[in-house]
Amino acid sequence: MTSVEQRQTLIVYDAQLCTGCRYCEVACAVWHCGRIDMRKARIRILFSEHDSAERFAAVNCQHCDDAVCEAVCPPEAIQKDEKTGWVMANSSKCIGCEMCVMACPLTVPFFDEELKVAVKCDFCFGEPECVKHCSSGALRIYTKDEALRINERLYLREKD
Amino acid sequence: MEVLEMSALVPMAELGIEIVDRPAEANVLVVTGGANLKSRLELENAYREIREPRVVIAVGSCAATMGIFKGGYAMMGPIDAIIPVNLYIMGCPPRPQVIINALADAFHLNSTDLDALLQTPEGFRGDPHVDHSKCMGCGACVHVCPADAIDLLDRASERVVRFTRQDCIYCASCADVCPSQAVALDYREKPWFRHREASRSEATLTLETCLVCGAPYAPRDQMRWALTKIDETLRMDEAVRAKLRRSVGVCTTCRRTSIAEVRRAKIILASLATQAHARRSAASGEPATPRPHEKGADAVEG
Repeated sequence: MTSVEQRQTLIVYDAQLCTGCRYCEVACAVWHCGRIDMRKARIRILFSEHDSAERFAAVNCQHCDDAVCEAVCPPEAIQKDEKTGWVMANSSKCIGCEMCVMACPLTVPFFDEELKVAVKCDFCFGEPECVKHCSSGALRIYTKDEALRINERLYLREKD
Repeated sequence: MEVLEMSALVPMAELGIEIVDRPAEANVLVVTGGANLKSRLELENAYREIREPRVVIAVGSCAATMGIFKGGYAMMGPIDAIIPVNLYIMGCPPRPQVIINALADAFHLNSTDLDALLQTPEGFRGDPHVDHSKCMGCGACVHVCPADAIDLLDRASERVVRFTRQDCIYCASCADVCPSQAVALDYREKPWFRHREASRSEATLTLETCLVCGAPYAPRDQMRWALTKIDETLRMDEAVRAKLRRSVGVCTTCRRTSIAEVRRAKIILASLATQAHARRSAASGEPATPRPHEKGADAVEG
């Protein structure tokens, strides 16, 4: 196991704790572009009024090891940082082809109409604002190993 | 300026071209720049004064389409809105070599040495040559084109990528970004046209429909490109690959708004992470941590 493996932390979302206040989106938009514009948020919370079993869901970057967005990016603008483990989008290299938007199953990268490039979660360079401002503790930071276990428990236990 | 430069390149008199001072002495009117409030009258007068046969040549993007002045408060339109135009010469500005060749071509002049002049010198940008069959319709060029020469038109089930050479300023931004190398800048075509429509070329691409909502979503070629790239680059077992391929077929609006789709996506990403982790553990010699949910080791790595 490499040192990045041990050092890297990940955001894990627990739908059971989420209240849908969307404060994470606000914090993210403000931190990244200085104003409250939900379209600019790199994290998104979905909620439904009908389905009580799955009331909330979050679209948040998993900073994958084998990142799909990284694999398809034609100019190699999206790359996993070797030191930190974050999957970062370099906006000066991005050509705006929206390949990453299409490829990522979660559609974490999105096309910013203003900047004409794709933008995505950059982990706030270490201290994610969404986690800092999460009112209910639904977004938490775990080490990579813990996050892997939790995600397995949450998403892989019952095979669909 | 470009027109004057021509005389330094070739003996104009030998070709039968003479630059005169007054419109009344000329047959051909060469116009650079679009028509604005003030120049409109001059343009009309000049056209009235030149002798039969009256030939008007629009030189450069501004004359043909108003170029960067498009939308300016004083602009009256491209010059063909004011007077009839017989020949459009592309470029921003067109090279003198191109202008002289266009003239020679239009008037059937003796042009033995002229063709050589057209070749772009080594290390310089040439004229844009678009291979529409390579285009996958991603729209990257549309975002970077400063002259708005490329349009993306989504009709019912197809996307049209239309390139208007008249607007092109030869900046090569599209060639820089094109992920499928559909744009090349070199000398292959003659950058002049007798009709405005001739300067347009377009690629028509089929749009795939979303697997969930059925709305037209992304060009088939772009989707194929992405899937091929995923297959080439990423290792995963076939069950996950099938799920990932399916998710690419669902439109981004559905994927963004449906909780079920988000859950499916997270399952895909969690399986990818687990498999990558297992591979790394196997590679580093450590036994993969057995997970309670796995039914046998073959679920992790084939």
